[in-house]
Amino acid sequence: MSTAGFNSQNGTGTGQTYANGPSQNPVALQQLPGVSYSMTHQPIYNPMQAKAPSPPGPGPYPSAPYQPVPPVSSYQPGPPLTSYPSSLGQPLLPRPPLSGPPSHTPPQSASPSPGPRMPPAQATPPPPAVSSSSYYPNPQQPMAPAWQYNTAPPPMGPPTSISAPPRGPVANHVNPAASLAEPRPPSSAPYSTAPPPRVSQSVTQPPGPGMPPTSMLGYSQPGTAPPPMNPMVPNAYQPGRAAYGPPPTGPPPIMKPAPPPTGPPVASATPPPPKGDGAVAGNGPQASNSYNHVDNKMAGLAQPGPPGRHLGHYPSLPPGYQNTSAPHGTSSMHPAMQAATQPYTQAPQPYQQPPGGPGPAQLSPSLAAMSLQSSTPEALRVVNLLQERNLLPPTPVPAPTPCLPQDLQKINCNPEVFRCTLTSIPQTQSLLNKAKMPLGLLLHPFKDLSQLPVVTSSTIVRCRSCRTYINPFVSFLDQRRWKCNLCYRVNDVPEEFMYNPVSRSYGEPHKRPEVQNATIEFIAPSEYMLRPPQPAVYLFVLDVSHNAVETGYLNVFCQSLLDNINALPGDSRTKVGFITFDSTIHFYNLQEGLSQPQMLIVSDIEDIFLPTPDSLLVNLNECKELVQDLLKSLPTLFGKTMETQSALGSALQAAFKLLSPTGGRMSVFQTQLPNLGVGALQSREDPNQRASAKDIQHLSPATDFYKKLALDCSGQQVAVDLFLLSAQYCDLASLGCISRYSAGSVYYYPSYHHQHSPAQVERFQKDLKRYLTRKIGFEAVMRIRCTKGLSIHTFHGNFFVRSTDLLSLPNVNPDAGFAVQMSIEDNLDDMQVVSFQAALLYTSSKGERRIRVHTLCLPVVNSLSDIFSGADVQAMTGLLACMAVDRSVTASLSDARDAMTNAAIDSLTSYRQSVLTVQQPGLLAPACLRLFPLYILALLKQKAFRTGTSTRLDERVFAMCQLKYQPLLYAMLMIHPALYRIDDLTDEGALNINERTIPQPRVLQLSVEKLSREGAFLMDTGTVMYLWIGRNCHPNFLTQVLGVPNYAAVPENLHLLPELDTAESQRTRAFIGWLRDQRPFYPSLHVIRDESQLKANFMQNMIEDRTASALSYYEFLLHLQQQISK
Amino acid sequence: MILLTMVARVADGLPLAASIQEDEQSGRDLQQYQSQAKQLCRKLNAQSPDRCTLETGDMNFHYLIAQGVCYLSLCEASFPKKMAFAYLEDLHNEFYDQYGRRVPTVTRPYSFIEFDTYIQKMKKSYVDSRARRNLGSINTELQDVQRIMVANIEEVLQRGEAISALDTKASNLSSLSKKYRSDAKYLNTRSTYAKVAAVAVFFITLIIYVRFWWL
Repeated sequence: MSTAGFNSQNGTGTGQTYANGPSQNPVALQQLPGVSYSMTHQPIYNPMQAKAPSPPGPGPYPSAPYQPVPPVSSYQPGPPLTSYPSSLGQPLLPRPPLSGPPSHTPPQSASPSPGPRMPPAQATPPPPAVSSSSYYPNPQQPMAPAWQYNTAPPPMGPPTSISAPPRGPVANHVNPAASLAEPRPPSSAPYSTAPPPRVSQSVTQPPGPGMPPTSMLGYSQPGTAPPPMNPMVPNAYQPGRAAYGPPPTGPPPIMKPAPPPTGPPVASATPPPPKGDGAVAGNGPQASNSYNHVDNKMAGLAQPGPPGRHLGHYPSLPPGYQNTSAPHGTSSMHPAMQAATQPYTQAPQPYQQPPGGPGPAQLSPSLAAMSLQSSTPEALRVVNLLQERNLLPPTPVPAPTPCLPQDLQKINCNPEVFRCTLTSIPQTQSLLNKAKMPLGLLLHPFKDLSQLPVVTSSTIVRCRSCRTYINPFVSFLDQRRWKCNLCYRVNDVPEEFMYNPVSRSYGEPHKRPEVQNATIEFIAPSEYMLRPPQPAVYLFVLDVSHNAVETGYLNVFCQSLLDNINALPGDSRTKVGFITFDSTIHFYNLQEGLSQPQMLIVSDIEDIFLPTPDSLLVNLNECKELVQDLLKSLPTLFGKTMETQSALGSALQAAFKLLSPTGGRMSVFQTQLPNLGVGALQSREDPNQRASAKDIQHLSPATDFYKKLALDCSGQQVAVDLFLLSAQYCDLASLGCISRYSAGSVYYYPSYHHQHSPAQVERFQKDLKRYLTRKIGFEAVMRIRCTKGLSIHTFHGNFFVRSTDLLSLPNVNPDAGFAVQMSIEDNLDDMQVVSFQAALLYTSSKGERRIRVHTLCLPVVNSLSDIFSGADVQAMTGLLACMAVDRSVTASLSDARDAMTNAAIDSLTSYRQSVLTVQQPGLLAPACLRLFPLYILALLKQKAFRTGTSTRLDERVFAMCQLKYQPLLYAMLMIHPALYRIDDLTDEGALNINERTIPQPRVLQLSVEKLSREGAFLMDTGTVMYLWIGRNCHPNFLTQVLGVPNYAAVPENLHLLPELDTAESQRTRAFIGWLRDQRPFYPSLHVIRDESQLKANFMQNMIEDRTASALSYYEFLLHLQQQISK
Repeated sequence: MILLTMVARVADGLPLAASIQEDEQSGRDLQQYQSQAKQLCRKLNAQSPDRCTLETGDMNFHYLIAQGVCYLSLCEASFPKKMAFAYLEDLHNEFYDQYGRRVPTVTRPYSFIEFDTYIQKMKKSYVDSRARRNLGSINTELQDVQRIMVANIEEVLQRGEAISALDTKASNLSSLSKKYRSDAKYLNTRSTYAKVAAVAVFFITLIIYVRFWWL
């Protein structure tokens, strides 16, 4: 799922297509360190001081004492690499990289990756070119120079322009999209034209005769064209890199100097020169990066571009930001892009000339320049948040690429699996404190992977002192010895390891799969087993009180289980069992040989016992018929019950007794507050306080019964999954403990009813299907190791910490995410890189003991600007959310809110004081952190943390559970939903997956100003999707997609799109289906009109707008600015 | 009462199948027995007796080796021995039928863990006293269980250690004797030299005496 969506680059950047682009930047940055920064570390920030609360400005953001998160480190989203994961697009990602190498070098180097990174764009013209080309079908068209600056692009772009007028500006966007869509093809088609050539030439071969035209191609499809002959300069970026961001690696430093050179080529090539200069000049100063000013314009160009331009464009921005000019909005990229484009576009013809221009000598410098530019620009480009309105990239935000040498980055762990808030690790704790960004890891260790190398060997090679598994980042001293990358101990290579089973050769230990893959799975030998692997055991504990029967969930549950009974993961040993309860506990004897299931009722709930030792948990294969009989009769069995009490605590104890000999999974379905026997709870919610702006009470458990029981369960390898279906308050804060400490998961369906809430029913069905059939690991433990000097101190997620760093996970499922916080204990002075390794040992449902190992490698940097340029905004947001949940429970909600606000203030303050060399007015942020305030605001308005808006306590607590437990990918959708306009979907830039065409509308900002009565908008909040139909929506959409004649005929409770045989309907359904396929749970769809009840829910997600109790985005920025300038 | 059952390959002690012990009722800690069972499987080799009973505290290990596979069970001491061997025999027949041919090829531990289902079933029928009567016929077919060797688990597990102790002692002895030999040689040569020197002195004295006094 993820991949597709996410890959895009961050920015509007042009180059999404190229994965490289983005990445380059980051890389470059890192390397830069060496270069001349003039970093100024300014006075160190004392966190504490910083915190000094600033009087709350406008609103609710008083800064109180902020002790927030300790070390904050900055991490940025740099360029994302699309490459990674790809989920869908495997092709995409990989592609770029691959291709990249060959031809790439030249091209990239030359033009700092035109395509790739947006940031670079500024620097180099090339990118633009690319974009333009792609954009416009005809490459050849000489782009008129004129349009460049202005957002003009549109002119050319007939095709693109297609989109609604509003988008006009979008042109750029479009490109990206397009590129995304057709990752591979791009090379040829879109790019094809001229642009490419230039790029390459300019850069690499300035001297060369001009390869011109073709070169471009090469770029895009590096592989193909024999690009420029240019000898790759030594620097050649590592091709591999390209994928991620090619440039970065080594060369960057070099590049620096180059900038100038680049300039020339470009100039020569195109008319632009003048422009370039001008631009440069103007911008130059602005560029905050220390790097840039250095030389040149190139850098200057890129960066400056945006700001200056924008200024011009945007009228003044009043708080409202009325600027409608969404197009520009794309922002920073744009300008750059445009600029870039110009040169190129024009260039095409001129191009040839260039050769003459710069001498051969220039090559290397130019290269250097290129890289430099590219790098600096993007991640560190200064963005004035108060002036740039449209910061949101048109496609999902990709993860930044660490600046590692390409050969390391190529094999680094997928960011969807393993991600760090700072892709460049600061050398010392004091540096980290200065940056004031949180340092932590986010993991999704058991994610479903399409490709996973599995190794079977009798000895698993591990470091003898720290027990690290051998991984791609260890170093081989010689054939016989390897050095651990975590503790630096030198170990022997065992004889068996000398043989490579893949290539069937001997003596190449460094070619073994263990050393070639950052994610790998081992089949464990018997030393890893304390006992024989347990069978898959599933126990279902069902509430059958009157309340439960009313909701009608039993029907759905039994039907789902019947449908999926053969798909339950397991082998011939799989066991199942059932317990139902109301005020008594009912067991079911399913022993083989019985003619029908036998119900055994235990009414002594104070001292629970099992009525019969075996035959309550039975072998599924042998007793399948009995189980099916039971499932068919269960829904009717309690149809007339009048029992309203619920003895959940006793039922859980009984279930624990039943499972404790083997361990397994317990699925508990509960529909009301448990009110009988042990673990009885009382209602703690005061409905009148739901909207209170004061502190929210009762976020912590009312009793430790559930926690204690969960710990017992954890000790016996039993995990408890909780399904809560209730209209009433159920005290999820207390009940949730049972899952939290036993590594279970929690599902919540507020107001579930089989007739009144069909959307909930559908979601429950789909969730159950996924739940029953997804992969599962039993009796698991996970350990996270990191290089000596770093230490992990806090864990987030559902598990129990057994020893200091060992997480006990009775069950592990593919939808569980984890986060950890780290600190730097010893200086990492002499290290170039640090590594993190997560090892998950589990028993598969087939009874195999396996170890899944993920290893992540990140560079160490010693300057603040490098730290900032490596910040991963999304990861930081995810980690801050986890920390804030903890804070809300241990301290108070307002404390947590203050801490989040302060996190934004601190990191931006630190950036302003320590990194920016030129002080300017406004709220300045590096490009990689530009979304940080927006995400923080989104968190403050999130169900979990909002105040002043009516929020049921259970929903709030559930949102908190999800923030801690969901993998980052899904948590980000919860935090910042995606909004699309879907009444004008076109195949332009569409993805093509399995013969299906998936349109790719751009992501809109969450503001009412983006809505229009003439349109239809889809908001994707992760678990729920809203389709909002404007009052004057085009009749075509209504009839072709919704199948209704006019607006008034749109039904009130529509949650399914009719399957009409029209192109519009197919496109819409393909798009929604594609969004759903990307995640493991099933988002329900609500079609809403202006007067629908759900409209309030829809509007609540308009994060950038002001609400009665919360600031608008602009106000929030002003508040931040006020605090920062203090 | 059969508490633990394990099937392992004799060649390398690789566990092939096992039955998870249910210690809920008994409340006993089987962990220690389990590790003993694992060690035992590793110690066994082609030279080990085919059937043997090992005593360990108030429990007995019974094992049977057939076709390169060892079937091991842990029973209470009061559990009849012939019953235990009949049980193992049963397991062997079934296991060999189902997986016999694949035994030499597997590398993963517990490759045939699914055999657990059958083990549990057999266990139940042997433990259930009512079912025991049905097994009466088996009893008569059983060979004379009395002849089955009985040993103590400690002895088996430590037999290896005793031998290695003996080995070190012997090598100590041999190195000591070597030293003795070289010392003796040295002494011999020394005494020889002393004798030669004495004779030489005597003759020189004689010559001098003859030369100066005699003449």
